[in-house]
Amino acid sequence: MLSLAGQLIIEGLGIGLVYVLLAAGLVLILNIPRVFFIAYGQFYMLGAYILWGGTVLFKLPFFISLILSILATGILGAISYRLIFYYIQNVRDNFLPIIVAAMGLMMIMQQGALLVFGTSSHGMQSEFPGLIEFGDIIVSVEKLVLIILALLVTGILYVLLQKTKIGRAMRAVSFRADISSLQGINPTLVYMVTMGVGCALSGFAGGIMAPVYAVSPDMGGIILTVLLVIMLGGMGSMLGAVLGGLILGLTLSFGHYFIGADLAQIALFLVIGIILFFKPGGLLGNPGEDLSS
Amino acid sequence: MTSPYKRIIGLTVLTFILAMVPLIVKSPYYMHLLIMVGMNAMLAMTFILMLRAGLISLGIAAFWGIGAYVSALLALRLDLSFWMAMPLSAIITGAVALCIGCVLVKNPGFGFIIETVVLGEIAVLAFAHLPLFGGYKGIVSIPPVDPIHIPFLFSIEFVSKTASYYLILFLFLLVAIGYSAFYSAWTGRAWLAIGLNPRLAESKGVNIYRYRLLAFVVGSAGAGLAGSFYAHYYGAIAPTTFNVFKTIYIHIFAILGGVGFPVLGPIIGAFIMILVPEVLRVAKEIEPIITGLLLILLVLFLPQGLLSLLSRRKKNARPVG
Amino acid sequence: MLKVNKLTKHFGGLVAVNEVDLHIDSSEIVGLIGPNGAGKSTLFNLINGFLKPTSGEVFFEGMDITGFKAHDVSHLGIDQSFQASTLFQRLSVLDNVFIGYHMRYKTKYWKRLLRTPSALKEERAFRKDALEILTFMGLQKLRDEQAENLSHGHQKILGVCMALATKPKLLLLDEPVAGMSPTETETMIELIRKIQEKGLTIVVVEHDMKVIMSLCDRIVVLNYGRKLMEGSPNEVLKSDEVIEAYLGKAEI
Repeated sequence: MLSLAGQLIIEGLGIGLVYVLLAAGLVLILNIPRVFFIAYGQFYMLGAYILWGGTVLFKLPFFISLILSILATGILGAISYRLIFYYIQNVRDNFLPIIVAAMGLMMIMQQGALLVFGTSSHGMQSEFPGLIEFGDIIVSVEKLVLIILALLVTGILYVLLQKTKIGRAMRAVSFRADISSLQGINPTLVYMVTMGVGCALSGFAGGIMAPVYAVSPDMGGIILTVLLVIMLGGMGSMLGAVLGGLILGLTLSFGHYFIGADLAQIALFLVIGIILFFKPGGLLGNPGEDLSS
Repeated sequence: MTSPYKRIIGLTVLTFILAMVPLIVKSPYYMHLLIMVGMNAMLAMTFILMLRAGLISLGIAAFWGIGAYVSALLALRLDLSFWMAMPLSAIITGAVALCIGCVLVKNPGFGFIIETVVLGEIAVLAFAHLPLFGGYKGIVSIPPVDPIHIPFLFSIEFVSKTASYYLILFLFLLVAIGYSAFYSAWTGRAWLAIGLNPRLAESKGVNIYRYRLLAFVVGSAGAGLAGSFYAHYYGAIAPTTFNVFKTIYIHIFAILGGVGFPVLGPIIGAFIMILVPEVLRVAKEIEPIITGLLLILLVLFLPQGLLSLLSRRKKNARPVG
Repeated sequence: MLKVNKLTKHFGGLVAVNEVDLHIDSSEIVGLIGPNGAGKSTLFNLINGFLKPTSGEVFFEGMDITGFKAHDVSHLGIDQSFQASTLFQRLSVLDNVFIGYHMRYKTKYWKRLLRTPSALKEERAFRKDALEILTFMGLQKLRDEQAENLSHGHQKILGVCMALATKPKLLLLDEPVAGMSPTETETMIELIRKIQEKGLTIVVVEHDMKVIMSLCDRIVVLNYGRKLMEGSPNEVLKSDEVIEAYLGKAEI
């Protein structure tokens, strides 16, 4: 019984940590440049395609492809800020234009992937075959690598935000852009870096998930689940994203085992519904806090 | 704020022009496209209505879907005619919006958008999974719009595209007049105030929660009406039609025309987005890419929409912000 | 008229307003001064319902209004003009003032929706009244202009007009002359006097001491969220504590 619980917890952690990363990246983008970046899921898809292309088509080592995924998505994210959102951000009533521009970007990337890679999905062989036994718990090496990589990146992100100069600047800008610009922080640069980091997180998540699930153009739909995680954790909170991701992962893995995939989905909505009923702003959010204004 | 009289004159002229269209367009295919323009313009009007109150909903298609499913079920299970099912489905959609809106509207801004995205997804999942809604295949053989018989005078059968065109024109005007009534009444000013500066509006005594909820319910009922028409016009509905991407297109229709033009903007926007690709015979594969580019360019260079080109010239070029 | 008991507001670990007592009598003008960050705007926002106090009570005309929502407070007769020129930028001047009539509609909602004669009559009456306010404040010529096209001084006057439209008994003015030229400031002082003569009670937050001195019957000084002292303009000016709070200890 205990071993079953351990097994399910590890499974849940695997999915959960990926959602933690995805939610953390989007929380950064939502709170610092305040862009409702609905194209976020497409960066996840792009990361997965680059990893698949790198390892399967060009026979590159897994980690090189993964780094390529991170770099490409990060740079593309930063460029998209500078080319599009930079011009809209200082306009009054910029809320709708920003969403619309992000929708445009989403459509371009989505359809571009369809044109280039076709509608069919591509599976790929696991880079890390084999199983490891910890007592009664049997874990695939692949899942273990995924968990370790996700934890590693979460740690890097934590250090980046808390200990580095750019991290402090990011937090300062999210608090008051006008004042921090007086203190010699260049908000545009901070926004570009934030978009880059956020999108790179999405690309990284896509990269490590590519061997687990098949790669397909409709992967971008993951944005819906990511938004669910953020809603659960609270809009403005990094820690909320972590909690939300873990709750989601565990609910899904336990749900899958005990009540089946379809009912697990419904159970998830129930859990979220109950939490939001008692905490309308999410677990760690402030209800009524209006980020748009 | 335009005076109500100008609005009435404008609507009359618009009705007259739109009523003349079937005299010129004879091809059933183009009539079908125009019917789609009408229905999508109704949805885009709903988007603008909610936007006025500061609500950006990505769940409009879900309420469109609720209207369609409710109307289809009323017709199939309870044998109601279209003329009964249509108003009932609008009312039921509004009631659903009231229940959901009570919670959602409390948390405007990003929170509201996220919640409406999730809501849209839950709606599609519910349509697809609950046996009542017929699963992924959806509902088929929905009865067409019932004919109107008025003894000794006339009878209208909704078989031809032209008849359906006049029906959608009627529904469009119904919704346009309904929404305009709200705009020109006190509510419209309160919505505008909330959309422009919610805090200030609140300090002037406007109950922003109640007015936002009203916008959400009225808009959703309008979307439900469009859904009812859609179900009976097509005869079959499937869950994925009502996903978030549909709502994104609804946003595009409204923004292309200009969100400052609550009736004319949606017509122009939907007309261009639906007809131009057909006329130019753009390949279906690259159409979304062109649309996406168009959106970004629109936001960067013409954020107030196409119609603002005309009105700006009148008002002596004022910087658009 | 307004009575505030031991009002306290914490923001996380920061105490923005700390056990402030305040009483304001009918038809007086009270000045609220203090260095930046003393908690003046927070105190306003606690009174008008934008913020909920951590502890303490607010009474308005004997009624406990602690923690009321902003629109409810507005209905009871407290309104304010904001620090920055906070207006509905894209509405006309007249429509800006019109918003203030929101809560005074007597006709039924559906009648307003259908524009029945009684609703139209009421709207005309409000329009007349709004124009009277604009005339009183000297903005009648600009009534069809978009608010964003007004000069800074006119925008601030419009802010006061909007507050007057809700027919408040107590008017809170947050830095009414900030950023104004000397002549505009003179006009504003005149207008505030005229408003007081109509029987309104006014609380002014202002950094410009000349304005405070020439307007106020009584001054309350806040520092670090606490009430430092309270008294007539002359008493306050002579107080060492106040000078110290403003200029810092180094000067003494």
